[in-house]
Amino acid sequence: MTGPMTPFDHRPDARLGEALRAALDAGDQAAFVARVLAAAARPARTVEVLAAWARRGLAAAMAAAALAGFLVGRGSAPTASPEDALAPTGAGAASVALVTATRPPDASVVFASLVAGGR
Amino acid sequence: MKPEPPSVQPPGGSPRIENEAELATRARGGDRVAFGQLVERFAPQARRVARAVLQDPHDADDAAQDAFLAALVKLDQYDPRRPFGPWLMRIVANAATDRRRRRTVRQVEPLAPELTGGGPRPDREAEQSALGDRLRAALAELPERRRIAVVLFDVEGYSHSEIAQILGIPEGTVRSEVFHARRRLRELLADWR
Repeated sequence: MTGPMTPFDHRPDARLGEALRAALDAGDQAAFVARVLAAAARPARTVEVLAAWARRGLAAAMAAAALAGFLVGRGSAPTASPEDALAPTGAGAASVALVTATRPPDASVVFASLVAGGR
Repeated sequence: MKPEPPSVQPPGGSPRIENEAELATRARGGDRVAFGQLVERFAPQARRVARAVLQDPHDADDAAQDAFLAALVKLDQYDPRRPFGPWLMRIVANAATDRRRRRTVRQVEPLAPELTGGGPRPDREAEQSALGDRLRAALAELPERRRIAVVLFDVEGYSHSEIAQILGIPEGTVRSEVFHARRRLRELLADWR
């Protein structure tokens, strides 16, 4: 920790390392090893099993929801051609006819427009 | 010191590393004796790294145990061509950090000012114990990542690149963390000898 080594040194500092090791070392390794092995040998508790199932269930539910959303979105998507999309339909068609007509509108067109708008 | 030098691999791999990979493979296949040997070999190191994060020895042992059990479950993710130590130490560091975040009950008792601030030197027989207290207090002052980096480098003998792999940070950052940690620890220990 003192001596020729500097903080820039790329070699481990043996003295500092030794002091830190002594400060951090915990006693009774055998007891600790026995404790870990006992915990590893213990059958999984019900709560742990349920928690594992819950995690898997959640993941499966999220995947299923995403798939369902994708399929529903695909099924309801319009299949019309670009020309169909431009062509007016229903009340829109009548309104466009009224606006774009060069001559005074026929009464039937106005009537159709009103009926379609009322629906 | 770590059980083997993973950074120094002779051509063909060292027998010790092969042995650990073999132990891990056997443990993955359900061999409890092999798992026990791995625990025995890495327990001191895992406990030290956990204690560097958690300070409290009971918390540290709990975290180290969590890490070994997690490693047992994740053994199928371990690549036997790579050294086992860094893989395990990553799990240990994560387990200790998780536990430190969750910890609410156990708190480390504050150290006496003479142990943290360069007070009068205690009697010779208590010197080693006081030095340990002082080092732990000094470590506790460091940011967590810096603490782990200096312990992995100077105590456990991992290389900068291995520590980068363990902590998931660039190697240059590891060098910087070790540099700052050493500087601070040396400052605190300068008047000790």
